[in-house]
Amino acid sequence: MELQTARFGNINIDESHIITMCGPILGFDNLKKFVLIDKKEEAAFWWLQSVDDGAVVFVVVNPFLIKLDYKPELQEEDVKLLEIDDQADVLLLGIVTIGSTPPEISVNVRAPIVINWKKKLGKQIVLDDKSLDVQYRIQMNIAGH
Amino acid sequence: MLILTRKLGESLLIGNDIRITVTEIKGKNVRIGIKAPVSIPVYREEIYHAVLEENRLATTLTEIGDKQTTTMLGKLLNRYEMKEKRLSEGREEGSRDK
Repeated sequence: MELQTARFGNINIDESHIITMCGPILGFDNLKKFVLIDKKEEAAFWWLQSVDDGAVVFVVVNPFLIKLDYKPELQEEDVKLLEIDDQADVLLLGIVTIGSTPPEISVNVRAPIVINWKKKLGKQIVLDDKSLDVQYRIQMNIAGH
Repeated sequence: MLILTRKLGESLLIGNDIRITVTEIKGKNVRIGIKAPVSIPVYREEIYHAVLEENRLATTLTEIGDKQTTTMLGKLLNRYEMKEKRLSEGREEGSRDK
């Protein structure tokens, strides 16, 4: 199907790729359908594009690549809600925030998006672990390179 | 706001499907048990607001020019030398001419 997006213009998406949110991305409760877009130039980062609102898109990343000791725990309720029957079907994504002044990148490791990849069901879960930051800053010197 | 008093072990019913129980009282802390349908998420209020705000902030990156975002992400990738994990299906190919 055709999708008009603010960032990528008019794109063609396969409807079988659409992920349905069983629980909202907080603040975006009305947006239920998303697709994951891969831009080859930014290999490890993907874009979670809203199908309901072409203007809304999130940069997402595999949080395990950013935080090497990341051990998020899924609650039984969420396993049920997302109809997870095999751990291998679970995809975890962290929403990335990019600030320009000063330039920095952070990942929300406190509230990752959990997706049952096989069933294409998703939810943003909020983890109990208080040591996890909604703004887990990726240490880097962008300006200097 | 409706204010009710409960003793340790007592509960409140919200509608037919939600039950709130005072399970432990320790000094200034009250331990609360919640029984609700899986479709109803339960959040600590302050973290709910923090996540909501962060989500909103995350969508503002689209106001940063494409080149700046791509440059930042590119540098991050070089730094981590990440090997991309390709999912075998279900990802859309980004359009290269954008």
